[in-house]
Amino acid sequence: MELTDLTRELEALRADAVASIEAAGDVPTLEAIELDVLGRKGKLTLVLRGIGGLPPEDRPKVGAIANEVRGAIEAALAERGGALRGSALEARLAAETVDVTTPGRPIRRGSLHPIIETVREIADIFGQFGFVIYEGPEVEDDLTNFQMLNIPPDHPARDLWDTLYVDVEGHLLRTHTSPGQIRVMQAEKPPIRALLPGRCYRYEAIDASHASEFFQVEGLMVDEGTTMGDLKGLLDQFAKAMYGHDKRTRFRPGYYPFTEPSVAFDVECLVCGGSGCPACSKSGWMTILGAGMVHPVVLQYGGLDPERYQGFAFGMGVERIANLRHSVGDLRLYMENDLRFLGQFR
Amino acid sequence: MRVPLSWLADYVDIELTPEALAERLTLLGMEVKAIEQWGSDWRNVVVGELLTVEKHPRADRLSLTTVTLGDGSAPLEIVCGATNIAPGQRIPVALPGAVLPGDRRIERTEKMGVVSNGMLCSGDELNLTSDADGILILPPETPLGVALQDLYGDTVLDVDVKPNRGDALSLVGLAREVAAVTGGTVRFPETDPAEAGEPVDRFVDVEVRDTRLCSRFVARWVGGVEIGPSPDRVQMRLRAAGVRPISNVVDASNYVMLELGKPIHTYDAAGVATAEDGRHRLIVRRAEPGERIETLDHVIRTLDPDTLLITDPRGPVGIAGVMGDAPSEVKDTTTDVIVESAIFDPVAIRRTGQRYALRSEASLRFEKGQEFRLARIGADRTARLIHEWAGGAVAPGRVDTAPDEPEPSRVAFRTARVNQLLGTTISEDEQRAFLDRVGIATEPVSLPVEIPVSSDPKPRVVTTRDEALVAIVPTWRRDIVIEADITEEIARVRGYELTPNILPHTPMPPFRDPPLEVRDEIRETLAGAGLSEVVTHALVSPKIANAFRWEAPLPTVAGSSPEGGRPITITNPLSADHSVLRPALVGSLVQVVSTNLRHGVDDVTIFEIGKGYGADGTDAGGAVREWWRLGLAGTGAGDPAAFNRPTRPYDIDDLKGAIDLVAGRLGFDEPVYRAERGEPLLHPGRAARVEAHRDGMLVLAGVLGELHPSIADEWDLRARVVVAELDVSGLAGGKRRAVSAAPPPRHPSSERDLAVVVSESVAAGDVAAAIRASAGNTLTELRLFDVYRGAPLGQDEKSLAYRLTFRAPDRTLAEAEVEASIAAITEALRTEVGGRIRT
Repeated sequence: MELTDLTRELEALRADAVASIEAAGDVPTLEAIELDVLGRKGKLTLVLRGIGGLPPEDRPKVGAIANEVRGAIEAALAERGGALRGSALEARLAAETVDVTTPGRPIRRGSLHPIIETVREIADIFGQFGFVIYEGPEVEDDLTNFQMLNIPPDHPARDLWDTLYVDVEGHLLRTHTSPGQIRVMQAEKPPIRALLPGRCYRYEAIDASHASEFFQVEGLMVDEGTTMGDLKGLLDQFAKAMYGHDKRTRFRPGYYPFTEPSVAFDVECLVCGGSGCPACSKSGWMTILGAGMVHPVVLQYGGLDPERYQGFAFGMGVERIANLRHSVGDLRLYMENDLRFLGQFR
Repeated sequence: MRVPLSWLADYVDIELTPEALAERLTLLGMEVKAIEQWGSDWRNVVVGELLTVEKHPRADRLSLTTVTLGDGSAPLEIVCGATNIAPGQRIPVALPGAVLPGDRRIERTEKMGVVSNGMLCSGDELNLTSDADGILILPPETPLGVALQDLYGDTVLDVDVKPNRGDALSLVGLAREVAAVTGGTVRFPETDPAEAGEPVDRFVDVEVRDTRLCSRFVARWVGGVEIGPSPDRVQMRLRAAGVRPISNVVDASNYVMLELGKPIHTYDAAGVATAEDGRHRLIVRRAEPGERIETLDHVIRTLDPDTLLITDPRGPVGIAGVMGDAPSEVKDTTTDVIVESAIFDPVAIRRTGQRYALRSEASLRFEKGQEFRLARIGADRTARLIHEWAGGAVAPGRVDTAPDEPEPSRVAFRTARVNQLLGTTISEDEQRAFLDRVGIATEPVSLPVEIPVSSDPKPRVVTTRDEALVAIVPTWRRDIVIEADITEEIARVRGYELTPNILPHTPMPPFRDPPLEVRDEIRETLAGAGLSEVVTHALVSPKIANAFRWEAPLPTVAGSSPEGGRPITITNPLSADHSVLRPALVGSLVQVVSTNLRHGVDDVTIFEIGKGYGADGTDAGGAVREWWRLGLAGTGAGDPAAFNRPTRPYDIDDLKGAIDLVAGRLGFDEPVYRAERGEPLLHPGRAARVEAHRDGMLVLAGVLGELHPSIADEWDLRARVVVAELDVSGLAGGKRRAVSAAPPPRHPSSERDLAVVVSESVAAGDVAAAIRASAGNTLTELRLFDVYRGAPLGQDEKSLAYRLTFRAPDRTLAEAEVEASIAAITEALRTEVGGRIRT
C-alpha cells in the first residue's frame, strides 16, 4: 500500500466520523460512534493495520497523521458530548423543578415547662458556684417543716405559712423548701453548698398572684467562715445572671425565724428600671427572694455547733422568678397547661 | 399596720417626705407596703358656714339651709335632712360635682321642689367619724372655703410589721424606728391620770388563779363617766388607722392599743358582780369543763379547760384577751368603768383565738408577747384618756397582781463575731453607736464573759475571753436574746448597702450527682420528639383520685421507691377540688387533655414527670410514700397537618415510639410490650404493660393504652386519648450511663425477609420473641415491616413480614449458616406460635 492511499483513508475516516458525530442526536449514539471509530476493533485500528505494508521510513509519518485524526475525532466527540449532556441535564432540571415557596413539612414541636426550666436555670447558675442539688419529701413532718426551723408550735410566725395538714399523724404538706436545710445538714458535713428545688403547698386561695401549689428553690451554704457578705455577693451575681448585668440589687432587713439576721433581696424593677411603676408598687424594686444567716438554733438541729459553723440560706419562689423572666402576669397559667400558652416555650 | 403620719408626729419629729420616710423605714426593716392619701376620696368638699336653717316648705323632715363659703359669692341653697344644724356652724359642704368615699357623686338636685346646690356631709359620709345621723360640725375657727382634704387629709403608711416585732405594732414603737432613722427623740405620751375620790381597791378586787397564763393583771377604776362620742379628732385618727369609733370609753382603749401596742379591755362595772365585801371582783382562771359564755357577738360558746377566762363571782365575763360578754360591755348606760390591762400567755391566747375563730387586733398583739411594763402604763394611759374624753373620776392607785417589773436584759456579744458573721469591719465605737440609735445601750464587761450563742429550745452559751460588750436591751425588745440578734440590729441600723459583696472563697463541697440528670434527659428527649411538658396539681379532687388509679400497681424498677398505700387526704382543704394527693399522674394528664380540647386545641401530646403519693396503713400513723412517675398522654393528629402528607390519628403506637425513644436514650434494652386486658381505665383491646431491662435489671415499667371509651365518655372527651404511666430508673435521682461504643462492623451482613403467617390471636411480640430466641446470636436486627390480612390468607390469619439482619463480628457469614438459622426460626415459629412461612 502506498502512503498516499493510507493518508487518504485516514482523512476519509476523519471526515466521516466528524460528520456522524455532529449529526448524533443523543449521548448513546455518540457512545456507539466512539466505539465504532476509536474502539479496540474500531475503524481507526482497522485502517492502521495497513501500516505494516509501508516502508519503514513512511511509518512515523502515518503515525503522526493517525494521531492527529484520533485527536480530531476525540475533540469532536468531547464537544458534541458536552453539548448533548448539557441539554439533557437542563431538560431534567426543568422537569424536576418544584415550588420552593410551599410550607415546610412540619415536625411536631414539643415544649419544656417554664417552671421546670426556670428551676434548671437557677440550678445552673448556682451550680457554677459549687451548689449541688438535693431534694426532700413534700409530705413533711411538723418537726422538720417548723420546729427544727426555730418555729415552735403556736409561734406567731406560723402565720407566715398557711399550712395544709394531712391525715397522717404529725405530717403536713411542706410550706417551703426550708426543711431541706435540716435534712442536708443532718446528712452532710460542711462545707455545704446545697440547692433544694421542689414543690410546696399553702392554704391559699388561688388567684393571679397566689397559688396553693408552687415551686421554691432553697439554697444553703455552711462552713466556718461563710458571711453575709458572701450571701450578698452571690445573690447579686445570681440576679445579674438571671436578669442582666446592668441590674442593681439591694438587701433590706426581713424576718424569718430560721435566719438571723434575715433579709429580703430586691432587684431593680424590671419593668420601669427603678423609676417606680405599678408593677413595683412605685418602689422601683422587686423582691425576688428572702435570705439570711442560718439561725444558731437551726444549725444545732442540723447537728452543727453554731460557735464553729456559720452560713446562709435563701429561698425563692420559682413562679415569681419565671414571671419576671417571661413577662407572665398570672400564676394560674403555669398549672392550667393550655398548650397555646406552653407552646411558646419551645 | 396603718400609720396616719399626723398621729405619728405626736411622738416623733418627722422631717422627711412621706416617700423618703417610707423608703428609710423599709430599709430599716419596717416595710412600707403602701402610702395612702387619706381623704383623697373627698373631691370638691369644702368648709362652709350655715347662714340660715329653715324648714323645707314641703317636707317636714328636711331643712332648707343657706351656706356661705366665705368667698363673697352668693350663698348656696342646700337641702339637708339632719337635725343637729344651726346657723353659725361650720360644716363640710360637698359642692355639685363632688365625689365622696365609695365613689358617691354629688350633683345639683331638686328635692321636693327646691333645688339643692350640693350636700352637707356627715362624718360617716366622709369616712371621718361614726356619726351617720348628724352633720359633721367643724370647730368654729375652721377657715372657710378651704378644701376639706387640706384640713383633714393625711398620709397613711401601711407598714408590714414582722411577727417578731410586736413592739412595733404601735405608733410609739414605730416612732422609735423613725427616731433610729432620723436620730430624733421619741416623745412618750403623758400617762398619769388626774386621780380623785376613794382609792381603787375600794371598788375593784382581782384574783389571778393561773399566774402562768396571766402573769400580770392591772386594773383601774373610772367612776361617773358620761358615755358619748369621742372628740372628732380622735374619731378621725381611729378611722384613718382602720378602727371604727364606737364611744369615748371604748375608743380610749382602742386608741391606747394603737398608740402603745397594749390591748386594753374596759368593763361596765354594773355588769361585773361584787363579792361579799362589796367590791367588784374579777377572777382570772381556766374554764371548767362544759362551762359556757355568751360572747359580745351573741354566740353561746362552750369552753374547754385550756381557755383562760375572766370571771366574776357569778361566772365568766369574758374570754381573756379575746372577747368579753354582753352584760359587762361598755354601753350608753355605763357610768363606772373597770380598765383591764393584763399580760396573757401568748400561746394560750393564740390557741384560744384560733379555737373560737376570734382573732382580733388585740389578740394578735397578745400572741406576739407584751412588754411587762405595758400592763401598768396602758392602764394609766387609758384611765387618763377616759377621764379626758368621758369625764368621771379616776380612783387613785391601781390593782396590780405583779407590780415588780424586771430590769432590762443584758446580752453580751463579741464585736469581732459581729464582723465575722457579716463579713464587715465595723469598729467597736460604730457598733455601739448603731445600737444606741435603737435604744440599746452598751457597756464594757469584765472577762471572761458568757455569750448567748443560741436560744431556746437549744440554748448554747460560750464562755470567752475575747473582746466583748454587753448590750442593755430595752424591755420592749423581747426579740433580742442572742449575739446574732445584736448583730442584726447593728447591720440593719448601719444599712445593708454597706455590707460588701463578696464571692465565697471557702472550700467547695465534693461533687454530687445531680438528681435532675435523668429527668432532664427524658424531658429534652420527649420535647424534642414533639411532646409538651406540663406541670399539674398534685392535689386533686376525691373524684379524680378515685377514678384515675391503676388497678394493678406498677412494678418497682431499680433504684426507685415502690408505690402503694392509701391516698393521703388534706384535713383542712381550701376546696374539694384540691383535697387529695394523687395516687397516679394519669388523672392529671387526662384533665389537661380535656382542658385543651375544651379550648379548641385538638392536637395534644403531653408529658409530665411528677409524683404519686400514698400512706401505709389505714390509721393516722402510717409511713408516707412518694414516688416519681413519667406520664404521657396524646390525642388528635399523629403528625401536624400538612398539604403534602396524609393525616392519621395519634395512637398507642406513637406512644410506644416515645417510650422506645426514652428507653434508647437512657441506654435500656428495647422495651417489651404485653397485652393488658384487666385495666379498667383502658380499652381492653388497646392496652399494654411495658417493661425494659438493662443488665438484667428492671429499669422501666409501666402501663399504657387508649382510655376506655366509657371513661372517655364519663369525662366528656370527644376524642380518642392514649395515656401511659411509667416508672423509670433514675427519675428519683441517678446518673445517665455513658455509652460503651463499638467500632462499625467490618464484615458485611446478610438480610432475609420472612413473612410469618399466624392466627389473629397471636401477638406480634410473641412472634418476635420466638424469632429472637431461636435465631442464634448472629441475628442483630429484627424489624417488622408489614402486616397483611386478606386473600390468600385464611379469615382468621395475618401475615407479619420481618426483615432479619444477620451478622457476625469476626467473619462474613456463610450462606449455609444463615440458612441454618432460618430453618431453626421456621421450626420455632411452627411450634411456639403455630406459624408458617409464607413464600
